[in-house]
Amino acid sequence: MKKNNRLYYWLFLAPALFAFSIVVVIPFGMGIYYSLTDWTAVAGLKSNWVGFANYKAMFSDFAFKYSFARTFLFTLISVITINGMALLFAFLVTRDIKFKNFFRAGFFIPNLIGGIVLGYVWQFIFKSVVPVMGAYLGIPALEDLLILADPTLTLFGLIMAFTWQYAGYIMMIYVAALLNVPQELLEAADIDGANFFQKFKSITLPMIAQAFTITSFLTLVNAFKQYDIIIALSKGGPSDMYKGEVVNSSEMLAVHIYNVAFKYNNMAEGQARAIVFFLVLSVVSIGQVYYNKKREVEM
Amino acid sequence: MKRNLSLMLVLMLVFGALSFTGCSSKTEEPAAPAKTEEPAKTEEPAKAEEPAKDQEIVIYQNKVEIHDQLTEFAAAYTEKTGVKVTVKTSGGDSPYAENLKAEFQSDHQPDIFVIEGKGGYNTWKSKLAPFEDQEWMGLTDLAFKADGKTFGFPVAVEAWGMAYNADILEKAGVDPKTLTSQEAYKAAFEKIDSMKDELGLDSVVAMAAGPDMRWVTGLHNFNGYLSAGLPYGDTTVLDKLNNGVADVERLTEYADWVELLFNYSDKAVLLTGNYDAQVGQFAVGKAAFVHQGNWIDPWLVSNGVDFKMGFAPHASVYGEHNAIFIGAPSYYVVNNESENKDAVNDFLNFMATDEMGHDYMVNKAGMVPAFKNVTLMPSGPLSSDVAKWLKVENGAYTWLQNDMPDGFGMGTIAPLYEAFAKGDIDKAEFINQLQKKIEEIK
Repeated sequence: MKKNNRLYYWLFLAPALFAFSIVVVIPFGMGIYYSLTDWTAVAGLKSNWVGFANYKAMFSDFAFKYSFARTFLFTLISVITINGMALLFAFLVTRDIKFKNFFRAGFFIPNLIGGIVLGYVWQFIFKSVVPVMGAYLGIPALEDLLILADPTLTLFGLIMAFTWQYAGYIMMIYVAALLNVPQELLEAADIDGANFFQKFKSITLPMIAQAFTITSFLTLVNAFKQYDIIIALSKGGPSDMYKGEVVNSSEMLAVHIYNVAFKYNNMAEGQARAIVFFLVLSVVSIGQVYYNKKREVEM
Repeated sequence: MKRNLSLMLVLMLVFGALSFTGCSSKTEEPAAPAKTEEPAKTEEPAKAEEPAKDQEIVIYQNKVEIHDQLTEFAAAYTEKTGVKVTVKTSGGDSPYAENLKAEFQSDHQPDIFVIEGKGGYNTWKSKLAPFEDQEWMGLTDLAFKADGKTFGFPVAVEAWGMAYNADILEKAGVDPKTLTSQEAYKAAFEKIDSMKDELGLDSVVAMAAGPDMRWVTGLHNFNGYLSAGLPYGDTTVLDKLNNGVADVERLTEYADWVELLFNYSDKAVLLTGNYDAQVGQFAVGKAAFVHQGNWIDPWLVSNGVDFKMGFAPHASVYGEHNAIFIGAPSYYVVNNESENKDAVNDFLNFMATDEMGHDYMVNKAGMVPAFKNVTLMPSGPLSSDVAKWLKVENGAYTWLQNDMPDGFGMGTIAPLYEAFAKGDIDKAEFINQLQKKIEEIK
């Protein structure tokens, strides 16, 4: 009987395990191998072992380092804005207001729009709507403003588009968490005379810490991997000056890796960068989850 | 628990090994269909029929805009000769080069595919079969040659120069024939610029250097540095570049040209404009010149643009210029593992020599053919001008922009143009940075 159980266990696990190893484990291992060769992705060409040359080239590449720093900046700001906006929305739509389901759906809908479409929509807004609005309102500064030619404004434009897309989704998680905060605790605090911020700090925040773990993980990983919005909205531009070098100000890591692999036709080097990208992202997100887990409280 | 884990690992390894052997047997023995299990079953009937004259050619090409026309032509060819021709297309927004690699990883390799000059040749060298003694080879100077052999059948001729709006130039009293040097351009730009309000222009030139348009600056404009003023086919400057040597004097002359274009462009289009913004500015008559080629014809025709236009030479470096950049942007090449090489040659010869082929290239697809025996004239406003330039003696400068290292034009140097256009760097620094990037190639 026991033996049979074990057999069934593996039998049922086999398809998932098979699929997982075919599409994740094995390609990942091949990826690590390729990053140590001069692989070109042309069928029939033998790749040669080059050791850590690809990794060395990466760390001496100014564009890669800049892209790394820029990605961290983008991730940091977007994690804050997305979570801030999402929490605010969640508070608003869990109050006793009319049409709250309508608002919930409204905030959520941008998440259903693909990143490419969304990028083009915002590009249109920045390029065409803003100047027209400026002309209409009679503000020449706004009329002549080229948002997508300014590195800082472009970065904030990207963060805005990304926040607009993602805050609604994160809001849903917060809504679920907020609805789970025990009302009797809040009532008791009310009776004790606690004000809104005291209640928020001492009751709500600890009670939704579990949601924080999930949301900050999701936003962090997604911001770090951001690709489609950038491609549609800014294509990695505009150029900027950094330490006397001309750099692409919004070329985040995912875009950078793609460019190295496909534009520069340097597959193996791109693969090496992708491995480092994976390692850094894993370390950062595991650290984040570990730290947040410690703050969770159980009722 | 531990046993479970080790069992799991073993299972994974087994599956891993299975899939690896699956892969390698495919690549190592492509010619033995009986040995590979799955593909053989589906392919066997097709393979059995093949010797019985049912030849099939698969073309994998990159021009979305001619897919329908080419398919139609292929169908007509099939009707005439019985050889089946399948046209597969990927391009436009979906990157051809990447998809082609995927296509080759699958077991349906195309017989004909497309390369774009030296870069593609270097990538695909091991897969190409040279053309030998084909009829079409005597009819064109634009075939792709490498190591003394002919590898590429030119798909079409394309060209760019300074496309001008003839009506505006006439009103401004500028004769396009005089635009042959940087001084002449400077005088003309100044004159037109002073009459901007009168002519209803936003700026003299429609030029784009933003992130969307890096091919215009990094490839097309920079090609002026590589080939302007040199005899057709001269690659001395390019060879130097590929060895990491910059011609500083030429770069200095060239930077003057870039500065001139940027100074007389509209800032919004220059810095953030996309293709529509740039071509649109020209099309609605808000710019007298546009830095584009005859590929904008379909755009102009479908938007009902009907003013007279033509190409003037780029004065990329000092001296007199009487030539525009003419070349074949892409070439059909033959897969050396193709089993239908004769059928492929027949098909390409038919396209180049038969009237049906000419009709397809000129009238249906709206291309400028690269073959001298074609007498039909293209109807596009700029394409017809290209056909005229083709007949001018020494009227062509070489296309060398695709022979630079991969990514150099659009990735490495194009942001420099943007920085220069924005004023982040001045002309001296622009020259200096270009020189530095070229020297980094070695």
